[in-house]
Amino acid sequence: MTLLRHISQKLLINNIKTDTRYKINNTCVACVRLLNYTPKEYDTKTDPAPLFFNKEVQSLLKSLTRVEVAKVFKKRKLGEKRLGDPEFKFMTQEQLDVKLKKAQQKAEELLQIPPVLAVHAQKNKVYSQDPALQGLESSRFVFTDITFGVKDLDRLIVVRELDGTLKDAEWELRNRVNHVYFPRSGRSLKPPRVFEDGYLEDLLNRREYEFVLDLACSQFEPNEKDYQRVTSIVFQHLSDNDGFDLLRSTRHFGGLVFFLVWNKSIDNLLLDLIESSHVDEANKLMELYGKIHKLNYEFDGKLKAVRQFIEKDSTKRGALELAVQAYEELQKQKEQLESGIKAAHGIL
Amino acid sequence: MAVQLLNVTKILQKLTINSKCRIAPALIKNVNENVIHKEVILTNSTRNTNFFNKLPAHDLWKGITSVSNAGKKRGRGKNVSKKNIKDLNRGQVIGVGKANIVWPGLSAPIIRGKELVTQHQLPEDPERQKKLIELRDKMGTFKYAKLSPIERGWSGTKMPGRSIGPPDPIGEDTFDGFDTKVLELKTVFNMKGNFGRKRRLSVIVVTGNSNGMAGFAMGKGLEPKTALRKAKNRSAQKLMHIKIYKNHTVFHDFFTQFGQTKIYVSQKPEGYGLVCHRAIKTMCEVIGIKNLYAKVEGSTNVNHIIKAFFLGLTRQKTHEEIAEEKGLHLVEICKENDFFPTVIASPKEVKKAEDISKDEIIDYHQYCFNGKVVYKKKRHPPFYTKYKSYELYLRKQEKLRNQSDVKKSLIAEYGEIRSFLADKYPECVQYRRPKREEPEPEVEDE
Repeated sequence: MTLLRHISQKLLINNIKTDTRYKINNTCVACVRLLNYTPKEYDTKTDPAPLFFNKEVQSLLKSLTRVEVAKVFKKRKLGEKRLGDPEFKFMTQEQLDVKLKKAQQKAEELLQIPPVLAVHAQKNKVYSQDPALQGLESSRFVFTDITFGVKDLDRLIVVRELDGTLKDAEWELRNRVNHVYFPRSGRSLKPPRVFEDGYLEDLLNRREYEFVLDLACSQFEPNEKDYQRVTSIVFQHLSDNDGFDLLRSTRHFGGLVFFLVWNKSIDNLLLDLIESSHVDEANKLMELYGKIHKLNYEFDGKLKAVRQFIEKDSTKRGALELAVQAYEELQKQKEQLESGIKAAHGIL
Repeated sequence: MAVQLLNVTKILQKLTINSKCRIAPALIKNVNENVIHKEVILTNSTRNTNFFNKLPAHDLWKGITSVSNAGKKRGRGKNVSKKNIKDLNRGQVIGVGKANIVWPGLSAPIIRGKELVTQHQLPEDPERQKKLIELRDKMGTFKYAKLSPIERGWSGTKMPGRSIGPPDPIGEDTFDGFDTKVLELKTVFNMKGNFGRKRRLSVIVVTGNSNGMAGFAMGKGLEPKTALRKAKNRSAQKLMHIKIYKNHTVFHDFFTQFGQTKIYVSQKPEGYGLVCHRAIKTMCEVIGIKNLYAKVEGSTNVNHIIKAFFLGLTRQKTHEEIAEEKGLHLVEICKENDFFPTVIASPKEVKKAEDISKDEIIDYHQYCFNGKVVYKKKRHPPFYTKYKSYELYLRKQEKLRNQSDVKKSLIAEYGEIRSFLADKYPECVQYRRPKREEPEPEVEDE
């Protein structure tokens, strides 16, 4: 890996080829790509949205998230200098049940999976063309409709170009103008430099996946290119470095599974599930895979579907086969032990 | 008759052998008055006995370096101390001096080999005088070794607050990981008919392994060292277990009292520190409590504070005990958890809402403080807030209210603090003082 990276760096230096494709909007920073991952956006040709919002898919994704309430409400740093004093209370069973029920509802809200959408297409509607205005001004003019109650997405924002054409603003400009007039908390006018490759790589190496994904969620819209660039890189890095446990019981796990299934790279996740002997989850993953890629697997409550997958579609065949074998041996040993115990107790 | 006598004396004066007695002869006096006048002035009477050669050296030294008992009572000689005595004889040997002379039989052997050593002078040693002066300068200027800030106690070079190490091992049992800290060191007197006033030192120390085991004890002795040792070893005999919640704080808030010393202790989250009386802080360090707030009300006698605090600590209940006693769930709610109700302890049988009597204390704080309420003073705004000038100050400061955030975001974005005009006018950058140029080391030509 390091060798590859070294070579790629050398190549970059030699050709002085900078990758301007992924420049952060508004800042004209040409970043040299150092990460080994290429972003994989959901393109408009095959829209993932109808599949993602399918009820069955949603329920599969949720069940794969493996929710633990204690983990959902784990202690977080709130950015204050001191931790607050915890409050202790005496409660009867009824009072506690009411509180727990509320927490459950809150957890469901917190675990809503960020929508998976295709990258939005550029708006290019031209409203008028006045060649007479050419050369009148030295900068573009932006006109915004700030009527109360209009959604950010539907707001009319147009630009008078220098050559006199009046057309829809591009997405980056729309975001900026929307933020200027209707700022949202947790979002900044310019995206933080954390999302640039050098800094992002550092964060990923520190396995701060949840932090990056949360920040991306608050900074970008789900159908923005930048959002999908960041999340896809994070998901790939996480999958390669076996960080699935870090995202379980968070809202991002569903998005991760969907991404892996969509890009046909579920092998690491499947390996993780089998090694931790979560067979039912492995089956659910196969079901999801079949649903999205329109494949038919046979389910028998054991590892039949997984075997079929390994034979046909797997890219990590050796490791998966070994894991399956190890799992089956373990099961056998367990059965033997149980029957032995039963025999010792004379239950047979 | 009288004239005869006078003549006799004059003759006797003439005959005196003492050359120092230059009293003018009577005859000349009559002949030349001028000469006589001069002679009288030239004469000088000397007294060969004085203060310095009448008293021996040790008495002279005593005079400077000590005060009589009576003098002490009057407050004389406050800076006089035996430490200030300089022994000028140190480093001086009979027979060795400035002129480097060899004295056979005194500073050298009489016979060396087969030859007789003769007295002779060696070249002068220039170092000798310097060494002597150095030796004398060292004497009389005693200084305490400077303590590092970590070793220092509550105040200056005083003992209270200082650590004196683990208690001495008993047989094969060693006190590994223990540390002892002094809480009080004072002189106490005892009056008896036959012995009179007797002075001793009384020391209170606390020892512990900073992991929930600690003990305190008092020791007395004539010397600080013995008193400290006694107290330290006695405290090791009185160890007790103390419950620490999550290895950093007390199990719950509590009120404790000994005599007129009342202490309200509050549990605090991690990172809070020890905000309390210094004696309580020192005890907590030794016990292993890292976060706590304590308010001492009433007397702040250290002895009583120690007893009250240890009483309170040993009387702590675990959360299970509390839940069992109340018959209700004990639930922790904190904002870092997004107000999720974390059940800390549950009783075997939970009471129902109907079973709770009306006058039962349900509030956790009130339950912990046993119904007592901490007196919280009302905080008044500072005096200057009423001034006109403060209003003006606030008005002037208002434009700077966002400055620190802006600076931070600028540094995050551009790596420096810069003007919005910097793109157009590159000279619009933050002024940085140029680094002082270090003089280049001179290179010697070879």
